[in-house]
Amino acid sequence: MELINFIELDAVSIILLILVGFVGGMVSGFIGSGGAFVLTPAMMTLGAPGIVAVASNICHKFPKALVGAVKRNKYGQVDVKLGLVMGLFAEFGVLWGKHVMTGIKNSYGAVGTDLYVSVMFVVTLAIVGGFVLRDYRKLKAMGEAGHEFQLTKLARWVQSVRIPGTMIYSTGAQAEISFLFMVPLGFATGFLASAIAVGGFIGVPAMIYILGVPAIMASATELVIAFIMGLGGTIFYGLEGVVDIRLAMLILLGSLFGIQVGAIGTTYVKDYQVKLTMAVIMLTVLFSRIFYIPGYLGKMGMIEPLQEGTVKTLKLIGDGVLALALILGAVTVLTALIGGIREHRRQHAPLAEADGYAD
Amino acid sequence: MAIEQAGLNKALFWGAISAALYWFLFQHANDFMALAHTTLDACAVQDGAGTTYFNKATPELCAEKGGEFIPGNWLKVFAPIAMAFVLSYAHGNFTGQFWDVLGLKAKK
Repeated sequence: MELINFIELDAVSIILLILVGFVGGMVSGFIGSGGAFVLTPAMMTLGAPGIVAVASNICHKFPKALVGAVKRNKYGQVDVKLGLVMGLFAEFGVLWGKHVMTGIKNSYGAVGTDLYVSVMFVVTLAIVGGFVLRDYRKLKAMGEAGHEFQLTKLARWVQSVRIPGTMIYSTGAQAEISFLFMVPLGFATGFLASAIAVGGFIGVPAMIYILGVPAIMASATELVIAFIMGLGGTIFYGLEGVVDIRLAMLILLGSLFGIQVGAIGTTYVKDYQVKLTMAVIMLTVLFSRIFYIPGYLGKMGMIEPLQEGTVKTLKLIGDGVLALALILGAVTVLTALIGGIREHRRQHAPLAEADGYAD
Repeated sequence: MAIEQAGLNKALFWGAISAALYWFLFQHANDFMALAHTTLDACAVQDGAGTTYFNKATPELCAEKGGEFIPGNWLKVFAPIAMAFVLSYAHGNFTGQFWDVLGLKAKK
């Protein structure tokens, strides 16, 4: 028989979950890549096993993704067809990924899933975070010209490929793209989502750099994919008995406040500002997760178990860096939003004065 | 002013519904936990004030632990999903109204 641990909730952990949810939601609404990448580690930091953190996160994500998608569709930012196609194949990815995760749990226990989730985070964040940061730097260096959305060479090629019978028009890319490109990207998104509850790390950059969709539309369309994956993932993981609705709903409490702020913020900023936010937070969370890994390896007997004190210190550093990632996320989005609103007001002030004189 | 009052009323209405739903969830937290753990065959063992759940249970193994064997029912998976949908709808409406009342709107 197998013991599944749902953590004890006290006042402190409840408040933390709500706060973390708020920041996660804000980041999610802004960059479309589930603030789950701060939420999953945060829940693990509070003591939930990797599989419960991921499952509960997925459960909170899907209705929130629906709320975000509907709101951003009102701003014309969602490519519904692309979202549905990738979402369908993402579902297959989730199914296979959940199979892998449960296999690890059965062979190595809860700590095995902690290690698996952390390693997936580190690898994904390193690759994608580094790539997005490089892209942000390039755009910023281009100055005014960088404000125009730039197609990568790869995206240009993808959009030029014509495979009869498989072409779908993407309003985001403003081009016909073969769905044969969307299939592996969707599948990979789903697989990653089942491992760390964030599919957007592959989904959003893939749409931008491989399919040629502008960042703001890619992040909005990702919410459609997230909804589909989230619903499927909740059912698959729920059947394993690892969805903790209390964790999920406490995070939802904060994140639904945050996601509206993030979504509104996107209407005030430029493409490259979204990218900077993505890169900064990704790389910070990456560093936080690295500190936990030696502890897991020791517990699983893969390396010489470390001194109790050393493990505690490493965990503390990891927690601190994660808190830093959350703060950075909040500050970046709020700064962009407030700056954008101020600029907007400044631009419209002279017109208001002219109206006054005309009376 | 009339519009602002209507917005505020909507915010208060949805805020009340959202609060009631959260209250309901946490009043019945143990029931929801039981539902979560019994989608598969489970063994509920009383320890002190609380209950510990084991998955992948069989009646024999469960009896050894002195627990109660509960046959799994996969339909229970829809309990958290229903809760998530209902809370998201209510709380989503509340938070949207909340920011609207405070004056945070999208750039047109």
